[in-house]
Parts: sequence; C-alpha cells; structure tokens
Amino acid sequence: MSRLSYIFFCILVAAMQACSKTEMSPVPQPVELEVPANFPVPPSMPDNPLTREGIELGRRLFYDKRLSGNNTISCASCHSQSLSFSDGVALSQIGVSGSILHRHAPALLNMAWANNGLFWDGGSTNLESQAFAPLANRDEMNQELYELVNELKAVPDYVNRFREAFNDPEIKTGSIVKALAQFQRTLIAGQSRYDKFRRQEPGATLTVQEREGLQLVQSKCMGCHQGELFTDNRYHNNGIDQDFSDASLEGLFQGRFRISYDPADLGSFKTPTLRNVMLTAPYMHDGRFATINAVLDHYSSGVLSSPSLDPLMKQNGGMPGIPLSNSEKQSIIAFLKALTDESFISNPRFSNPH
Amino acid sequence: MKKIIYMAAFAAVLASSCKKETVISEHDGELTLSFDAKAGTGDFALNQDITIGTRTYNFKSLRYWVSNVVLVKSDGTEYAVPESYYLLEETGPVVVQEGDYTYPAKKREDVVLKNIPMAEYKAVKFSIGVDATHNDNLSLQAGELSQLSGMTNVSWMWHTSYIFTSLQGTVKEGATSKTFLAETGVNTNYKTLSLNLPSAMRVSSAKSAKITLDVDVAKAIDGIDLIATPTIGASQASVMATLADNYATKAITVTIAK
Repeated sequence: MSRLSYIFFCILVAAMQACSKTEMSPVPQPVELEVPANFPVPPSMPDNPLTREGIELGRRLFYDKRLSGNNTISCASCHSQSLSFSDGVALSQIGVSGSILHRHAPALLNMAWANNGLFWDGGSTNLESQAFAPLANRDEMNQELYELVNELKAVPDYVNRFREAFNDPEIKTGSIVKALAQFQRTLIAGQSRYDKFRRQEPGATLTVQEREGLQLVQSKCMGCHQGELFTDNRYHNNGIDQDFSDASLEGLFQGRFRISYDPADLGSFKTPTLRNVMLTAPYMHDGRFATINAVLDHYSSGVLSSPSLDPLMKQNGGMPGIPLSNSEKQSIIAFLKALTDESFISNPRFSNPH
Repeated sequence: MKKIIYMAAFAAVLASSCKKETVISEHDGELTLSFDAKAGTGDFALNQDITIGTRTYNFKSLRYWVSNVVLVKSDGTEYAVPESYYLLEETGPVVVQEGDYTYPAKKREDVVLKNIPMAEYKAVKFSIGVDATHNDNLSLQAGELSQLSGMTNVSWMWHTSYIFTSLQGTVKEGATSKTFLAETGVNTNYKTLSLNLPSAMRVSSAKSAKITLDVDVAKAIDGIDLIATPTIGASQASVMATLADNYATKAITVTIAK
C-alpha cells in the first residue's frame, strides 16, 4: 500500500467510526398477515407491528414450559393446535395449583380480528394485556414475572431472539407478551371447504345439505355469529342461565356485567366463532355442553328467560328459543363440518418448534 | 504535499466526528415535584390514629400514579416531560401475584425531573392515573409503569389494567370499625390537573427548582362514607368517580414553587 492510499484508508476508517450509531443493528423484518380474500381487513396494531422475528419468538414462547412457575405447562398445554388451540375439556385442572379453573379455555383462531375484548367477559383489551392473566394466575401458569425474565435471560438463544425482535438489549415482560400476541395474530383459519366455495375456487363445492345448513346459519345464527369471521366479537346473554344473583368470585357468574356493571350485560359472554367449532368441544364459557347437538338443543328448546336475555334469542314468536327441526339441526352440523380448516391444525408454522 | 494531505485528513476526521454543542454557563436544569401527603391539617402517616371529622382513621397505604407531566412556561408554551409515569406512595409491604412476590414497604414523595428546558414556568399539569393507551395495553412499558408494582389488576381473570389510586386502612366511629380499600381505575377516571404556581419559577442549571404539592387524603375521601362503602372499586362506579374527582379537583394543591 502506498503512503497516499494508506492515508486515504485512515480517513475512510475514521469517517466510518465517527457517529457509529448506524452500525449493523439487525432490523426485524415486517410481516403482512396473509388474509384470506373473503375476510375483512384486520384492525391495525401500531403498538406491536408483526415481524418475522417477533412471530417466531412468540411461537417459541407459546410452546415453552419455562413460562409456567414450575416449568410443567406451556400455553399450548391448554391451547392445542390439533383442537384449533383449545383443550377439549370443560374446565381444566392442569394448572400449576391443580385447582379446577372457572372458565373454559377458548380456542385461538383469527385472533387478529379480536379487537373487542379478550376473555369470555372481555376484561382485557388486547392480546398483549391478556397474556399477563394466564401467566400470573395462581391456578394457571403461576409464573412470577421477574423469575420468568431471569429464566429467559439464562438462555442465549432467547437473548438473541429478543434483541433481534425488539431491538432492545434487555428482555422485558412487555416484549414477552408482545411476541406471544404476534404469534397468536398469525393463527388464521380460512381454508375450509366453505371458504374455498365462498371464494369460488376451482372444484370447490358444498353439498345440498351443507348449503341448507349455511342458509339456516345465515337466517337464524348470524345475529351473533356474523360475517366471514362467524362472530360479532360482542357479548350476549344466550339464555343458558337465568339467575345472576350469585356475585361471588368477583362477579364470575355474572358475565360481562363484572366488567361493565351494566345490568343489560348480566349473563352475557363473548360470541365465539363458528369456525373450527367441530374441533372445539365442549362449548360455552364453562364448557357445559359436551357436544354440538347439545348446543343446538339448547338454542332450539332450552333457552331460559331473564331480563337481560338477548332479543336475538327470541325467534319463537317473541318467546325464548330458536326452534330447529331435527333435519335442520343435521344440516347445520353438516355445514359446520364444512367450516373446519383442516390445514390450520396441521400447519407447521403454528406447531411446536422445540 | 505530504503536509497538505495530513492536514486534509485531520480536517476530514474532525468534520466527521459527532461534536457536542459548546458548553455555556447556564443551561437546562432539574425540577423536583414533591408530593407531600397530608391528612387534613396534619401530616399523613401510616399506622397511627388520625382524626378526620368525627372518625378515626388508621392508614396502611397510600399509592397513586402521577403521569404525563407538562410544564407551562410564562410565555404560554408547554414542555411535556417524556416518559413521565411515576408511582407515588407511602406503604407497607404489598403482596403481588397472590403472594408470589412482595413489593417492599416504601415512602416516595419526590419526583426528580431532569433536563428541563431553561425557562420561567407559571403552571404545572399532570394526570392522576394512567392514560387509556397504556392502561389498555400493559405491554407498553413507559417510565415507571410496571406489572409488578401491585398497582395493576392482572392476577385474576378479568380487568387487565392499572389501579390509578389506592388508599387502605381502617376507619372507626364509636363502636363501628371497618377495614377499607378505596381504589380508582378505568379510563373514565383518568383525570388531568392544571395547577398554577404561586409565583413564576425559573428552572435552569443555576439552582435546583422545586414545586411542593400537598396531597390531602381527607379531601380525597371528602363526601365518601367509608363505613357504608368500605370497598371502592369498579363495582361502585359512582363512588369511585367521586373519589377520582376529589383527587383531581380538591386533594392536590401547589403550596410552594421556588
């Protein structure tokens, strides 16, 4: 190297070292949700944009038993992919305390659209805040949050992944729940036979009975199970109980009333989606109905009257109930089967990475 | 020629380095907000019988979030203090996560604000509680906001949000005695105060500035019967609103600014 070029080399190095803030800090890669063509546009989440790194970190956390206090259960223990991220039991008792829970584990699908409250009574505004409850609750994961941060810090792979996903050298509880939320927002189920029929994909058909079921759902159930998501994300008293005087356990049995304190919300719970419903038995906020037949029997002939009963439940000449004949029930069930997205439960992007 | 090249190199290095502004003698300064807890005319203290009106109170804990501090200059322009979420408290140990973790006993009345633009100020604004953006999303951790302070509702399966203010203790009148817990929360009870300073106050590096505020719990519970309603929270929406209004309109006053 000649003297002159050496000098220029020095200048170049000095210039590069000055103001070295712009050095190669890896930027997480933005990800667009793959939204099925018949779905609405998902609400934006500017506080927690989806990134490839954040989603993958969230998936790893979702399946990691470190997230429970005694490292025995992960989120997936009660939200199993094979059951559309539900658990198949009415009320779980696999939590850290072994006590029976008061609420049925909800299925996780199409969460990117769930912008009107999480939990059966909607007490949490978004997936980020929601995650703290199962993590911290003594009867669920019973995780001391400081301890969780320390456990994750001890794993070099997590340290790297958190840094890459959030451009933050520190692992924070806020980042843990953000990553979990990002992963959950990618859990989109929209590849059922119904969807392909709806999108007029080549060869997609529904049987006569399935079409009849679709029409029945549209005429009798769409008040709550609205639109292509088959939920209005709202809260309704569907007449499974009629006495809401028991205010114990901080209003647990009073439905959304415990959040809103509006008497019209007594006994109201969140509308679950009908998508993948044949995978997510048992049903209702407490899992009281073991089968879809029991659910249809309830709506047809078991709806109980109370002042807060949703008027949508009175389709029997103004009286409670949504009368359905046996053959109508069978058609509805045939349609609900066509609403199952089989690819959702085998999608490797949603499965256990460990 | 060599000399010229060396000089050019030197100049290039100088030009490309991140140079700090020249230091001047007086610059941005520090301001302390001191929230002095009172119980009527006397000082607020824990575990002591304090008489307010006809009742005897024995306080166990006073905690509240002060957030989004804005300083108003004498020319009317405003300076919003970034990341300003502070937990003010005088409390014994606080059980968090149903006993998994204990937040230690603490007394904290001072908030030290750094890098406050050098200027003359005439008023201060701040809020009691946590704004809806942060209250609705516990993953947004600004300032001192934390899920682990015992000032959030997370360990049970319903409202995941912040507790804005919390006052605990016992109240006695004659033979009647009640343990009370008076809390505020939910977005409608997020209240902003705007308080004029007794006189304009200069903040700069030349001297430390301090605004002293009285926080009178007697005024916070004014008009609220804690024997009749010993538990104030989301289930007593109207009493909770009164309590939140009291914090915003009566309980907190500026006494000294210098």
